[in-house]
Amino acid sequence: MKNILFRGLLSGILSAISGIVYLKIYEGGTMVDFESVLSPIAVASTSIFACMLMTLGYMFLFKMRKMKWKGAMNLLILLFSFLSIFGPIAFTLPLEFDYPELFPGLAIPMHFFPALFFFALHPFFEKGRN
Amino acid sequence: MKDIKYFFLATAVLALSAFTWKTVTKWKIDENYSIRFVGTDAEGIFKKLSGEVVFEESNLESSSFSFVVDVNSINTGNGMKNKHAISDKWFDAEEYPNISFKSTNFTKSKVGYSVNGELTMHGISKKMTVPFTFEKDVVAAKFSVKRLDFKVGTMEGNSKKVSDEIKLDVSIPLIK
Repeated sequence: MKNILFRGLLSGILSAISGIVYLKIYEGGTMVDFESVLSPIAVASTSIFACMLMTLGYMFLFKMRKMKWKGAMNLLILLFSFLSIFGPIAFTLPLEFDYPELFPGLAIPMHFFPALFFFALHPFFEKGRN
Repeated sequence: MKDIKYFFLATAVLALSAFTWKTVTKWKIDENYSIRFVGTDAEGIFKKLSGEVVFEESNLESSSFSFVVDVNSINTGNGMKNKHAISDKWFDAEEYPNISFKSTNFTKSKVGYSVNGELTMHGISKKMTVPFTFEKDVVAAKFSVKRLDFKVGTMEGNSKKVSDEIKLDVSIPLIK
């Protein structure tokens, strides 16, 4: 249980850092300031929140002694990550923001960061690994 | 003697006619203007406006409005919607890059004024009357336009989600 929590927290933090780095690179590349629509704090908190949701899913499996369903849980995480990209596509930004067409390119990749880190860190927290 | 009389008469007519002159002010459009539109499933602004405003409350006969809105400056807050709006399915900005309004005459109303003129959008011109107020050097108007009158979009497929009637809220601050 502790392992799952640490994995969730660490993947949340790494995902938040990656999101902020990507935000800064994207802002530098497009010369557009996205602070008014997507701040680094929002990126960090959303990343940690998403990873904690995955953690809760894993904790639920652990509690129910159904860890063999991890594959199904991962597929569910993947499905939710994919479905969540419709959010930035359909999102209406404040009308004062001049470049709404650049927003999906910023936000969509970020929606996969939490799951990527959560899956990538899995082997490091697996008990009984060689 | 007779010549002097005529000279005085001419001077008097000239002097009196000066009192009948009415001046009109040619205004410049301040950059803090806003053109907002709201319809069902369609909301946004146009960011670029240019034009000429000649307006004097005491001389409506000599007043005139001429506005041009850049269709490509539409902003709905969503990049995909913006691209869709300027495509040939809606405004067809490549073929019709501007929306224009040119006044023909003005009338005074209870709450402000009304301007009669011709609105040209999507290559179609329609006569219309727009009520407006003029307070603190700001022209403000709230009126509606039926997009189908100008063949902007259709009522087929997903386009029918957007109402025919689009409400406009226009505020144009002016400077002398």
